[in-house]
Amino acid sequence: MQCSDVSKCYELLERILDGELGDEGRDILKEKLEKCQPCFEHVHLQQAIREVLKTKCPKQPLPETLEESIRKMIQNAR
Amino acid sequence: MSEVQRRKYSQEERTSIFDGEFMPHIDSMYNFAFRLTFDEDDAKDLVQDTYMKAFRFINSFEQGTNAKAWLFRILKNSFINDYRKKTKQPATVDYQEVETFYNSDDVDYQSTTDLRAESVRDMLGDEISNALNSLDVDFRTAIILADLEGFTYEEMAKILDIPIGTVRSRLHRARNLLKEKLKGYAQSMGYNTEEEEE
Ligand SMILES: [Zn+2]
Repeated sequence: MQCSDVSKCYELLERILDGELGDEGRDILKEKLEKCQPCFEHVHLQQAIREVLKTKCPKQPLPETLEESIRKMIQNAR
Repeated sequence: MSEVQRRKYSQEERTSIFDGEFMPHIDSMYNFAFRLTFDEDDAKDLVQDTYMKAFRFINSFEQGTNAKAWLFRILKNSFINDYRKKTKQPATVDYQEVETFYNSDDVDYQSTTDLRAESVRDMLGDEISNALNSLDVDFRTAIILADLEGFTYEEMAKILDIPIGTVRSRLHRARNLLKEKLKGYAQSMGYNTEEEEE
């Protein structure tokens, strides 16, 4: 079985994953995951993308002097 | 930020807000600035400008509200107003135009192969990062705010000065575009992509 308009589902599912629908969202998510293969796959893919964005995206190291120079600037502005 | 500055915080309070609520976000701010400018010096300048403005307009910051969102909004505005003008990057397409363009539904179903969650998990950080960086600045920003920084739609609406409905649709378009980029990487790197089964 699958939803009649999966592209609508995808947008809704993303909002649910973003936590914008609260408890209601959890129920919808559960139902879609059980009943619809495309929705199931979309959720898993979206979760994987979020996960790698959060854990693998290289962080730019803070330049050593930046914090110091901001503090100096503020000191002078006082 | 209002032009009229009421005298609200004492010297000590200002120092404590600045050190306690603003400075802890410097890492996120710098990373955001870097992903906007792709240049260390420009990112540094942008963060410095932002902190300078935050200090000057500190009286318009309400204690107890989200300092990080407040700072991100200043940084984003500085980028648009002061910085975007002087960069050599090609002029970006107008917001509205981009959104209308991508608002056609076919962007959801461009290809017959689909990207697998496992392939995404196998990708290298640099590949993920390059895919993100290749997005138009407005879509890139949406993903950064939502997924890297964890802002809510409501906070994003304030940071970007757009209605929540626009946050929602922009983010959805951004995710579709990012997915297409990742799919491109997956295919070119020989990761497993799956033919759509009927
Ligand atoms: Zn479905």
